[in-house]
Amino acid sequence: MTRKAVYLLSVFCLWLLIIDMNSHAGDPGPEYYTLVLPPGLPKPVYDFSQNPLSRQGVALGRYLFYDGKLSRDSSVSCGFCHQQFAAFGHFDHSLSHGIMGRMTTRTVPTLFNLIWQKDFMWDGGVNHLEVQPLSPIMNENEMGMDLKELITRLQGNKTYRRMFKAAFGTEEVTSQRMLKALAQFMATMISFESKYDSVMRKSPGVSFTAEEQGGYKTFQQKCAACHKEPFFTDFSVRNNGLPYLPSMNDIGRMQITNNTADYLKFKVPSLRNVLVSAPYMHDGRFFDIFKVFAMYDHGQEKGNTIDPLVKNGIPLSAKEQRQLYMFLNTLTDKNFLNNKELKEVMIVD
Amino acid sequence: MKWRLLLFCLFVLKGVEAQTLQLRLSHAVKGVPMVLGNTTYLNAAGDTFNITLFKYYLSNFSLTDTTGRIVRTASGCFLVSEDSVASKMISLKLPEGHYNSISFQIGVDSLLNCSGAQSGALDPLYGMFWTWNSGYIMAKLEGASPSSQLPGHRIEFHIGGYRAPHITQRMVTLPLPQTLVISGSGASNLSLVGDAYSWFQGISFRQLAGFMTPGTPADRIADNYQHMFSIHQK
Repeated sequence: MTRKAVYLLSVFCLWLLIIDMNSHAGDPGPEYYTLVLPPGLPKPVYDFSQNPLSRQGVALGRYLFYDGKLSRDSSVSCGFCHQQFAAFGHFDHSLSHGIMGRMTTRTVPTLFNLIWQKDFMWDGGVNHLEVQPLSPIMNENEMGMDLKELITRLQGNKTYRRMFKAAFGTEEVTSQRMLKALAQFMATMISFESKYDSVMRKSPGVSFTAEEQGGYKTFQQKCAACHKEPFFTDFSVRNNGLPYLPSMNDIGRMQITNNTADYLKFKVPSLRNVLVSAPYMHDGRFFDIFKVFAMYDHGQEKGNTIDPLVKNGIPLSAKEQRQLYMFLNTLTDKNFLNNKELKEVMIVD
Repeated sequence: MKWRLLLFCLFVLKGVEAQTLQLRLSHAVKGVPMVLGNTTYLNAAGDTFNITLFKYYLSNFSLTDTTGRIVRTASGCFLVSEDSVASKMISLKLPEGHYNSISFQIGVDSLLNCSGAQSGALDPLYGMFWTWNSGYIMAKLEGASPSSQLPGHRIEFHIGGYRAPHITQRMVTLPLPQTLVISGSGASNLSLVGDAYSWFQGISFRQLAGFMTPGTPADRIADNYQHMFSIHQK
């Protein structure tokens, strides 16, 4: 008797399931795809199995990225500070600034190859790509937005309801969906098409000039231990000897760990696209890459936590500096800077 | 919709076995029921204070039956807040049996602190997630005390940290005063009282009126809040 009842109920449920499936027949749903990455790279840190890329998810992420509505007074979008032509850094701004003329104590980091990055921000305080946007969105000196209010704002917007449905199946806006969509878009910011990459891949007809080759040699001898290929960073935090500024009082990584051994340690930035993403250092104090060379050559402050690799400075002759500049120029990825898929989108409502 | 149907099918096929245990949470300060706002309390160091906000995460519930078998209830995190009646009722599913102790964790598993955007009780919009130093605030207590040197004499304790050496999740195991019988007839209840007085053992608001990062003072308060719960069985 029980068995019969169970059987009948199961058949009934199956029938309901079929009806349910049919009702979505006209709706194609998200079109999933896998990011095509250049060969020979390590496996990304980002776990795509928990957030598979879809055309609609990336499109939603891109729309969110360029939408000022993510800030309290709708004046500042992610793309406001992260400009594509500056490798998603902020052109000509030493310190990032936010709503109502407010300012932070750090420069805008560039955005690319983020799926290999294990932590974020200059002090490595953010531990996952998906939660990274919460920091600028909710920081009162940046976008100054209340998260609950933001979700309500997006839920009330027709375009977003449509886009969330396309990306995630229903119109419901949640912080998790918003963050996953932003992560999907940011995951597509991949930069491995510079002249340097062509040379390394032995593309026909591409080679370093003598000056570039000389610069590459200097780079390998004097810079590559921290700015490790192929990412041109080892993703660590270090004290590079940059003098402490009392007016900024930025203690770096120590703010996160409360550990005095982390005093003045900041993330090693990638050197990819470095010549288009001035100014330099965590506080953007150097607008000229030659100022950075000069700092390593003779301008360090050697405190207790200075990194052993640079504690004796990095002597760089005028010739080495010139050649290094020529080499760094080969790390500019014009295809990335002009990638149409990453370009700003018009926000219509 | 599909999910619900599948669950329904599974439920039907599995048969009705799991029973519900209702946990009713209430809060107190040294045995006196907690009232948010202007009610004044006294801590062990003799500072008067009031509480305006009190909330925390609970997770990883399990019960031990009289044969010593540990029964884990469905996973999930619960955000309990003094100002929300609904949050103070937690329904746990567990099989029929005779149980004599309950265990749970105050806080959020370390893995969930570093696995990206979460939903439900772990949605960052509840203000229990640090955006600049990723990780959940395991427990939060805010208010004011004349002893506090902070602006407005505020006291503000946002206790978190999931990475060694500053870990603030704490396991709690409480023996039940009498054997809890979970059977097919009628719902079972347990009352759990969280006493905020225990948070500040050995702490004076003169020296420490706020802490909002991972660190040694947070660890110390976590050691204290580990002992805030007691069971009241009728």
